Amino acid sequence: MKIFTTTILVILGSTCTLLAADGLETPATLEAAKELGRVKSRFLKETSADTKAVDAIPTANVDHFQASVAPLLNKSCLACHGPEKSEGRLRVDQLNPDLLTGTDVERWREVYNVISNSVMPPEDQPDYALADVDRGHIADWLSGELNKASLIRRNNKVHSSFRRLTKYEYNYALQDLLGLPFAIPNTLPPETASEDGFKNSSELLQMSAMQFETYREIGLKALKRATVTGERPQTVTYIISMQEEMNTAMSGKDPKTFDKSDESYKKQRNQPHLLNRESGTGIRFSAGKSMPQSEAVAGQTPAVSPVVLVLPRSKELKLDLDRFLPDEGIMRVRIRAGRSTMNPDEFASLRLIFSAHTSNNANFSQVVSARDIPVTEPGDNPQFIHVDIPLSDIQRNPFRKLTTTFPRRDEFLHIQNVSNATGGEERLNVLIDHIEISAPFYEQWPPKTHTDIFIASSNKGDEEIYGREVLNRFLRRVWRRPITAEEVGQFMALYAKYRPEFSTFEEAMLEVLATALATPEFLYLTQRATAEETQSPANISELELASRLSIFLWSSIPDDELLKLAEQGKLRQPNVLADQVNRMLADPRSRRFSQNFVEQWLGTDRLNSVTHVTDNSLKEAMQAEPVAFFDEVLRRNHCIMDFIHSDYVMVNERLATHYGISGVYGPHFRKMPADPHTHRGGLLTGAAILTMNSDGKDSHPLKRGVWMLKRILDDPPPPPPPNVPEVDLTNPEILKMTLKERIADHRNKSACLSCHSRIDPWGIAFENYDASGVYRTQIKDQPVDATSELFNRQTLAGMDGLKKYLLTDRQDQFARAMVHKLTAYALGRPLSFGDRADIDSLTSQLRQRNDGLVDLIHLIISSNLFNSK
Amino acid sequence: MNNKSMLLSRRAFLRGTGVALALPWFESFAAGSPSVNETPKRFVSVYHPDGVGLPLKSDPAWQDWSWFPRGGEKDFELTKVLDVLEPLRSEITIYSGLSHPAARQVHGHSNADQYLTGAPIGGDGPYKNSISLDQVYAEHAGDFTRHSSLVMSTNGGVGGPRGAQTQSFNREGRPIPAMNKPKEIFDMLFVTSGKDAAARLARSKSALDLLIDNSRSLGRQLSSRDQETLKQYLDAVRDTELKLAKAQKWIDTPIPEVDTRNLHLDAEPKEARLYFQTMYELIYLAFLSDSTRVATFQLGRENGEGPHDLLSLAVGLHGAHGLTHEVKKPDGWKNLGTYNRYQAEEFGRFAQRLKETPEPNGQGNMLDNTLAMHGSASSSFHLSRNYPIISAGGKNLGFTNGRYLKFGKGNEDNQAGAGIDTDAGWTAKVEVEELPLAKLFVTILQRLGVETDSFGGYSGTLNRV
Repeated sequence: MKIFTTTILVILGSTCTLLAADGLETPATLEAAKELGRVKSRFLKETSADTKAVDAIPTANVDHFQASVAPLLNKSCLACHGPEKSEGRLRVDQLNPDLLTGTDVERWREVYNVISNSVMPPEDQPDYALADVDRGHIADWLSGELNKASLIRRNNKVHSSFRRLTKYEYNYALQDLLGLPFAIPNTLPPETASEDGFKNSSELLQMSAMQFETYREIGLKALKRATVTGERPQTVTYIISMQEEMNTAMSGKDPKTFDKSDESYKKQRNQPHLLNRESGTGIRFSAGKSMPQSEAVAGQTPAVSPVVLVLPRSKELKLDLDRFLPDEGIMRVRIRAGRSTMNPDEFASLRLIFSAHTSNNANFSQVVSARDIPVTEPGDNPQFIHVDIPLSDIQRNPFRKLTTTFPRRDEFLHIQNVSNATGGEERLNVLIDHIEISAPFYEQWPPKTHTDIFIASSNKGDEEIYGREVLNRFLRRVWRRPITAEEVGQFMALYAKYRPEFSTFEEAMLEVLATALATPEFLYLTQRATAEETQSPANISELELASRLSIFLWSSIPDDELLKLAEQGKLRQPNVLADQVNRMLADPRSRRFSQNFVEQWLGTDRLNSVTHVTDNSLKEAMQAEPVAFFDEVLRRNHCIMDFIHSDYVMVNERLATHYGISGVYGPHFRKMPADPHTHRGGLLTGAAILTMNSDGKDSHPLKRGVWMLKRILDDPPPPPPPNVPEVDLTNPEILKMTLKERIADHRNKSACLSCHSRIDPWGIAFENYDASGVYRTQIKDQPVDATSELFNRQTLAGMDGLKKYLLTDRQDQFARAMVHKLTAYALGRPLSFGDRADIDSLTSQLRQRNDGLVDLIHLIISSNLFNSK
Repeated sequence: MNNKSMLLSRRAFLRGTGVALALPWFESFAAGSPSVNETPKRFVSVYHPDGVGLPLKSDPAWQDWSWFPRGGEKDFELTKVLDVLEPLRSEITIYSGLSHPAARQVHGHSNADQYLTGAPIGGDGPYKNSISLDQVYAEHAGDFTRHSSLVMSTNGGVGGPRGAQTQSFNREGRPIPAMNKPKEIFDMLFVTSGKDAAARLARSKSALDLLIDNSRSLGRQLSSRDQETLKQYLDAVRDTELKLAKAQKWIDTPIPEVDTRNLHLDAEPKEARLYFQTMYELIYLAFLSDSTRVATFQLGRENGEGPHDLLSLAVGLHGAHGLTHEVKKPDGWKNLGTYNRYQAEEFGRFAQRLKETPEPNGQGNMLDNTLAMHGSASSSFHLSRNYPIISAGGKNLGFTNGRYLKFGKGNEDNQAGAGIDTDAGWTAKVEVEELPLAKLFVTILQRLGVETDSFGGYSGTLNRV
């Protein structure tokens, strides 16, 4: 049977199938485990509306207390904490043993601490000594009950989805509302993450005066950036034609030229130089000062020139732009570039750096291109690439307007070739024949961002009527709903107050619009109560549904299409809703969903505080991997079990090198097969997870175990008790132990056992991965021992064993955890016991639909949970 | 693998993900604001570029022209550089062995930027600074005066990254432009009526009215639970209203009239003595009228070539920055020492003036309620270590003066880095132990009434201060 299953899987690859396997023996491969585990699913067996036994509401275990715990307490504690004496005003015989409904939880916590840490009974009272096994017995019962009590406390509270936008949602909303291509620099404080790790959790999104004032400032700043005043500003344009540069260089006195065929070229070719590709004549080149040309028109496409700048790997062209760039607006840099060779294993890309050197040691430089731009076309057929840089957001030379020449006023743009090119006779260089820099750059005048606010209208002459038109349109987008004349009137009244202080209509109106951007209806996700609510909980309105949808999938406000459908009352029609969800997922804005959900679900922003990975490109790649992976699963509606294990990975060159996967070139992520020897596949083996759950020097099984329980299985362990005994590193016996032995030694203390037996084995299964996630078979000349035993006696043989176990026996738990996490994120609130039945039902439907991620998103969006308050 | 750290970090980790983070960080700013009626507590920091003269003991100039005093904590002896402060001996404290760890391997030319911030700005590449000491205090005390702080320098503006012309940086680490023209500073403090400010305020008020109306009408349509959430928003709006009311108070309060006899508002740096004294007098008047309780003054950018180079004309010397390069020329140490002596003299004159003025609305004299700091982010030539720092006053804040406090180990005679006049000095390995200057900053902040235990990533105060 095993063989049969494996054969089928070879044919079917990684897609989920409904094929059943009937054997219950250990599956030979991870793919077989996926199949086997699926068959075991309770969710697939149960029919229709059964209430699921998963995660039942816990109840107090009082019987066990009476039978086994109370006698122990009476024997060892009662003499001092009973009717005779009640030291510390504690009477153990009067504590309510029901920790779930009783009021003595805090006292019980104290009892737990002193018992588990062997503080009590006092050592000098041999009559009342507790045997280790009894101590363990009490600690076990108490830790179980305390854990249930905290679960109840957390989950009994009903949470609302009414909340303000997060910092990142606010940024995106402002950008989308105003059509701005760049984020407005934002000084809002960072958000706090919930226990689930989510930053959009309603209760933690606070508002303070400081925050409120910042919203108003940012709003006005963004509006000023989106609009323009007065005449179109003069554009400053620099054009650097390599043909002309060559002419100039050759016309100098005694030009030091060389020929490509000369032997001496070998000395020259590693430095930037000008080369006539037809004649082979070359000359060393470092650009001098460039001056703007008053006649020049940007955006031209001159004929391709045979003279090019040859830019070798890691070299740069440093252009001195003097002091003529304007203070604000977009600087558009257009570069026509091609590759000298087309070896597919090599890549070349351009990076832009902006700098100034105002006097000795007073200098700065910063990368201003958001990402490296790949150069892909051959040198004979070069391509134009362009980069837009917001001049007011980058560090500028503060002395550029001096009338004197010191400190120096110049600003520099560096064009750098970032490449993996290797040596050899024909080297991969970037060839550039034409560069254009213009600022401020406008696609049109006035820009679209301006005319979207100050719309074309025949009423422009009448400020009162036109003002209403502008406000009506703006408020509808800001408030995501139709606007009444009365509401417009309020803002017109404000406008009337402001108008005398400003010389133009636009200036006064911007102040009014900035006020609209500080209203609660912009900053909060509303859910209005209506008079005639019959069902409970009542549905949110279609307009509110539109906002909930766009915040979920775009981290931003709805667009016109969504608003229109909601206004027409069509959005909730199942086929319309499904079409819209598909449209939204196909929109580039849905990348924000992948980014934000994955970062919060997995907690990968913790990688930012990791200091032992010093290579920034590696760190960035680590952080980007799980997002790229999730995005791949999302784009293809793959099965969510791929998160546990997949036979592919998403890597770029840097990460592939880290994983020992060859044949991956360039900075972009792509899908590669995860051959068994790479020991990768799924999220658990991602370097980000492994690295952030290490201690800076070595792996950290405990952190990895805790991470796994919280993030993947949604079964967070209780927080550790205070004052846990330290591992005694002065004890030579302990020093001799391996890490795993030390953990076992610690775990075997009765005080620690109850928690650690639930955590450690998971983490030990990760031991084959070191502190930065590199696979290893040895630790300090000792073979890695990554085998552990779960508290249920299940053996996990390393990462493969862990994955096999999860896939065989824990698919339901993972599926439910995934549903839970995604739903909590979609709703922007923690889930409670009241949501259990919905989560179970969603999980069941998901499993029946073969666990596709897109299906899950559709299921959540059409669920009652998502549609109600 | 260190098992101890594993256990520690495990707990830290679990705690970090739980309740410890639940309180939004910005709420802490509200804590511990001073009350209006207290005697004002003031802080001023004066920065001079280029460090001071530190000849080797073997150099004949050592006896007279080494900046640091000789002797012990109480029985210290001032050299010719600082002997002008002898009359104020009981009002001053001189420090050695302090520096910002993040700057110790950065060229002295780049260091004015981080004297009051301690930020790791590095020597090149992307630039990021952090909040300066004076602005931490201004956040605390700024609401009680018309101006939260007075930021001045000889060169004005912000300067360039790693070439600052201001000592003050806000919470985001952005430089606050410094004023350098006495006339403009005077007008800002004592003439401008604040018409613009009044109009802005009126606009904000109308906007707040509308926002309150709007949130009330939204509130009516929400469940009672959600109304609770919205209440936070309304509270934020109301707090903002209160702030505006405070601002209104300053607009309504008449501008104080001050004695202008000692001011030469058209003075320029080339008239060094007049300019210098006028700038100090402006700080004095701003404090006297309680227009602000926080001031910084930068006597020139690092690295020369600017108006501040002319300040040494006051003692008949050319090119202030050049003096540090010419110490090995005849009279080199003497010339640099003479210029440093002149800086100390002017600082002393300012301190003396505060001392002679009784506190207008409180205890003691003005110097008793003011901590005045004078210092540089390099000692010897471009060497970002052992900052030469003097503080004056602050008796009522808890400072005990008349002392020379040596910190650190291995440099008791201030000879590490002495005598150098080339860049080889600042790149040399740090051999002696110095303490983080941020610890002195924590002490200062606490004495000024700011509840904090850390500055720039360093926690704890400085012993013996």
